[in-house]
Amino acid sequence: MDAARSHAETVERLRAHIQTLQAAPRTHLAVLRTGVAEVDALLPAGGFPLGQVVELWGSPASGRTRLALRTVAEAHRALRLAAYVDGPGELYPPALSALGIHPSRLLWVSPASAERQASSQLAWAALQLLRSGAFACVVLDLTHTGQRLSPQASKRLLDAASHAGGLLLVLTPEEAPADGALRLRMSAGPRGVHVEVVRSRQGMAARSADVPWEALSPGEPPLRELAALPLPALPVTPGRFVRPRTSEVRNGLCGIQGQRPGRDVAMPALGPGLGLP
Amino acid sequence: MRVAYLHLPRFPVQRRASLFAGADTPSGRPGEFPLALVHEVRGVQRVACLSTAARVAGVRPGMTLSAARALLPALRDLPYQASEEAQALGTVAEGLLTLAPATMPSPPDGFWLDASAASLFGGEAGLLERALGLLGQLGLRGRGVVASELFTARALARFGSGRVRVVSRGASAEALAPLSLQALEGLDAQVQEALAAFGLHSLGEVASLEPAQVVARLGARGLRAQRLARGEDEARFLPALVPELVEEVRVLETPAEAFEPLLFVLKGAVDMLCARLRGRCRAAVRLTLVLVLEPDGPRAVPLVLARPSAEPKLLLDLLRHRLEDLRLPAPVATVVLSVDESCEDRGQQRVLGALPEGDAGLESVLARLATALGPEALSSPRAVEDHRPEAARAQAPFRPPLAEQGVHAEARRAASAPPSVDTRSAQRPVRVLHEPALLNVDLGPVGELRSARLLGRRRAVLGLAGPERLGGQWWTRTPFARDYYQVHFEGLGPAWVFRDARDGQFYLHGFFD
Repeated sequence: MDAARSHAETVERLRAHIQTLQAAPRTHLAVLRTGVAEVDALLPAGGFPLGQVVELWGSPASGRTRLALRTVAEAHRALRLAAYVDGPGELYPPALSALGIHPSRLLWVSPASAERQASSQLAWAALQLLRSGAFACVVLDLTHTGQRLSPQASKRLLDAASHAGGLLLVLTPEEAPADGALRLRMSAGPRGVHVEVVRSRQGMAARSADVPWEALSPGEPPLRELAALPLPALPVTPGRFVRPRTSEVRNGLCGIQGQRPGRDVAMPALGPGLGLP
Repeated sequence: MRVAYLHLPRFPVQRRASLFAGADTPSGRPGEFPLALVHEVRGVQRVACLSTAARVAGVRPGMTLSAARALLPALRDLPYQASEEAQALGTVAEGLLTLAPATMPSPPDGFWLDASAASLFGGEAGLLERALGLLGQLGLRGRGVVASELFTARALARFGSGRVRVVSRGASAEALAPLSLQALEGLDAQVQEALAAFGLHSLGEVASLEPAQVVARLGARGLRAQRLARGEDEARFLPALVPELVEEVRVLETPAEAFEPLLFVLKGAVDMLCARLRGRCRAAVRLTLVLVLEPDGPRAVPLVLARPSAEPKLLLDLLRHRLEDLRLPAPVATVVLSVDESCEDRGQQRVLGALPEGDAGLESVLARLATALGPEALSSPRAVEDHRPEAARAQAPFRPPLAEQGVHAEARRAASAPPSVDTRSAQRPVRVLHEPALLNVDLGPVGELRSARLLGRRRAVLGLAGPERLGGQWWTRTPFARDYYQVHFEGLGPAWVFRDARDGQFYLHGFFD
């Protein structure tokens, strides 16, 4: 009788628990924040809206990749998957953990060099990832590839992103911009990155902000103001490791038969000591 | 021992019914398509097996094909080979190994299952329901009986009534009693004729005879028939051997020139292949689809999966994707789908509220990309504990955590703590060049770094951090000692530059992009 009662109580408790969980507000991702307050304030939605193609356009080392990876980290924080289509194959995994990225939730698509030559392969891979709907954020890295997205490919990517509700971040070099619905131009300055909204279909275009380097990578060491200080001396070039013989350690350098140094070298001439010419 | 017998009426016709699923039939049901399977007997094409529509029109087994066509001009005929049908039956039975530890085929239209694991499926009736359900997924329908003797199970499944029946121990004679003498079909025909001549009509009447009288009139064969009718079958269950090669072959009735008919045939092959894999608790890792073109010959299409899978929907989707891009010079006459590599299928634990197809999108795209770009192109980035920067990166298989879609997942998302940030890796750039590039630098009078030629022009150094001295591997032939600097060049962001101790030169190694 007691067992039956406890069983019924357990069922009731579980039922109440399930009802509580079902009644809890669902979290639907609509925007992926970059985690950089200055950039989020620039964007109309307070972050990168899902279902859009966002282009990060700028010079090398202008912080495009770090901004994209900060967005990926935001997706990971929401327990979503992200993908990085690495056109040039330059992504460096040791830097990812500092940006808050879970490597197990990041798909790294790094085509072999033959496929890298074709931008259509990279765009095709990004298109498939977007269409699957399994990835909240897809990064398409076209820097250092010398390639440019065709208008048709851009249109297909935009359609796929809006249909599946994923965010596509396209990293483009300065000389080959793409056709993103939202384009941010990034340029590096001495104290930080200058971010400008070049194109936006939701307004707020032509707005800009300066983001300090520390905001992009929180743990990064500060740069010295000027490189006027002399560089330290180089370390000793490591040669092949040669272990000295025990006899050398004990007796120092000696001859073949263990003679003291000097026996093998030419003896000094005796003439001067003897007064001989 | 308890055994189950599954009877698939007119199995050779049923398994070909899918070929005519899209055909124009009165009700759209494949069985109503006039189909006859013919074989050659002494140089004459004779009907071996036929569909319901053909039977209604008056066609009968054994009739010549010419006579059958005279009766039914719309009759379609396909070749019949007993060995091929037995092999197909064996593959169907193999697909049910998820329900039973062993099977024993009984050509041409049924097989026994070892029912000893019935308790796992809610009893023997539950086992039969599950088995018939699986057969239904393969487009086959049938009847099932569980009994203690092979003969009892088979006779009741073939000649009894009802879709599912369980005969308890010791009740076999009672269950067999109403069956006609036709149920003794496996025995000598003379015995059956003799029993009918005696005026017997049912197995119950045969069972009630005195054994001595039966032996006196019909000998040992008659006694055996009587023992079977009494539910005293001594035949042993002989488990069929499972073939090592998992392969499905489909010969198209007419060579396919379009994509749709080929896909239709492929669906049947994939369904059967996955059923066989599931029967072995295996999942495919690598498959090969061979399309035999007419007259060009075979053409192989390899398929490598990113994740092992035995899901027919996923495999068919991938094959469809591969074939869409294929340009074939000739029509396809035969399709051979084989599993080259498989692994244990561990299954997947799902959470409350999760949908079985929840992960399908991810699996599908992974397999699709792996097929197109190669499996090595897909990975998960991993940092390796190595002082040499080039060796500190690696690729690990992409194994994301299970998709969380249930109501618990929402709670977990809300409660999930932000990941801990590793500040030690903050000094590493996000981009590293494949090969360090030699920098042409200007040094000041006291040895300070002033400028460098980079990306087409000379750029002044605005600031730097470092050095971070990395060195080691002096015990190898390639020791290294480098001073790494984070250098801020004019017009660019920070770059990762090192000064090599071997030659004192500066090299660009990456960008803090």
